[in-house]
Amino acid sequence: MRAPFLGLAGVAMACLMTAAVPTQAQQRIAAVNDTVLAAQACNVCHGSATYVSPTMPPIHGADAGALYSALIDFKTDKRPYTIMGRIARGYSDEQLKALADYLSKN
Amino acid sequence: MSSFSPKFSRRQILAGATIAAGSFAIPHIARAQAAAGRVVVIGGGFGGATAARYIKLFSPDTDVVLVERDANYITCPFSNYVLGGIRDITSITHRRDPLRQRHGVRLVRGEASAVDTTARSVRLKDGSSLPYDRLVVAPGIELNFGGVAGWNEQAANTVMPHAWKAGAQTLLLRKQLEAMPDGGTVIVAPPANPFRCPPGPYERVSMIAWYLKTKKPKSKILVLDAKDAFSKQGLFMAGWESQYPGMITWVAGKDGGKVESVDPKNMTVTAGFGKEKGAVVNIIPPQTAGKIALDAGLAESNGWCAVDPASFASRKATNVYVLGDASIAGAMPKSGTAANSQAKVVAAHVAAGLRGTAVPAAVFHNTCYSLVTPDYGISVTGTYRPGPQGVAEVPSSGGVSPGNANAAQRKAEADFTLGWYAGIIADTFG
Repeated sequence: MRAPFLGLAGVAMACLMTAAVPTQAQQRIAAVNDTVLAAQACNVCHGSATYVSPTMPPIHGADAGALYSALIDFKTDKRPYTIMGRIARGYSDEQLKALADYLSKN
Repeated sequence: MSSFSPKFSRRQILAGATIAAGSFAIPHIARAQAAAGRVVVIGGGFGGATAARYIKLFSPDTDVVLVERDANYITCPFSNYVLGGIRDITSITHRRDPLRQRHGVRLVRGEASAVDTTARSVRLKDGSSLPYDRLVVAPGIELNFGGVAGWNEQAANTVMPHAWKAGAQTLLLRKQLEAMPDGGTVIVAPPANPFRCPPGPYERVSMIAWYLKTKKPKSKILVLDAKDAFSKQGLFMAGWESQYPGMITWVAGKDGGKVESVDPKNMTVTAGFGKEKGAVVNIIPPQTAGKIALDAGLAESNGWCAVDPASFASRKATNVYVLGDASIAGAMPKSGTAANSQAKVVAAHVAAGLRGTAVPAAVFHNTCYSLVTPDYGISVTGTYRPGPQGVAEVPSSGGVSPGNANAAQRKAEADFTLGWYAGIIADTFG
């Protein structure tokens, strides 16, 4: 829905009405294919396009090439000691490439 | 038949003036709503709240109702840190309002008392009903108070808490730790598998040890286990040895660790190897899927719910999904991260089913961090896919932190523990 009029009073009014109706444009994750669904796992630690984690490196909107080479380095233990190596070994290189591409754009 | 329920009508009226356009508008709205479908989610924990949130993200015009008994969510993850005195209970208490405000999930405070899977309707304790096209059941666990001889709910609420559902029980156990004398013994009794949060009892032991080491260093901890092995065992035991030398004794089930009975009046615990008196006794009882899953006929005779490993659709009823601790999830543990991950797969299936779009391939993930001390973190992680025998771990992936990590690496994992918590809260309720 839209608030019936603009301005602070309108916003306040809209907030009071949130019991029944969302007052802001909803986020949407469109076209949920294999890669899009798999990528949602990252949000648990790394935050999302709308939430930045206090201690984890941000990955949404990062450079696709840098993300991919980091994932491969984790997978091959060139960058040891975090959990990322253990996670990256759960995916093929092609799947990691697709994930890096998706995350760089979302 | 019209898909309008009274609740829908009220919602549309509150939505503004659109409905005043006249009766011709109603069939149009009804069609639009029917196309996007109605989903009811039972349970607002990590599994249920994530499912509700992601169904709205994947299919914003689906009507999603989240039924939850309690006003706020107090997380089991990090409740051990309240016991250790390094977190306040308010810092692990979360509101669900953003699900409504930001994502349009309808929050219904109430308790589901019955499910009619033929009529596709959930009945609440107050007598009202919620019709659904798809039902997501995420009720967590039911504690089996009869599972330990001599112990019952009254004992748990007074002298021998379980603290396996966070909240008042957590605070009761913390109070007992604060009240016990220096030099007393804390008995912790974990159950046999399967149960909620496999590393949880051992992180709890670590956090109690942290408290005792800093405040009551002459005290001891006795772990009387029904099992012969436990999650991250090598890492925990090495951590106990280096951080709390001589304080913790773990007795395996095969060595007489399994608790046979307790006597709450005398604060004694009888296990296979003999009787012990505790200054504090923490009984973590056997568990089953949450009661509504049992009442709805969704559980097997072992008390847990069998599901299709590709979708977490119930094996017992159509258009019903069971996820989180209540489900039989193959190689996946009963954890908050596992429930969050399963919920995203369920959300994708529900959205695809209601919209008639292609279903993406399921991939699941789990990460469990545990603290041995506030600066010493360890982890286990896994990636999973559906297999012929249920959900299976992807070969050569996953596993635990290295045994030979240095102090900086343990500190990094302690920092990541905090990041994981903030992240999963945002991903579930934000």
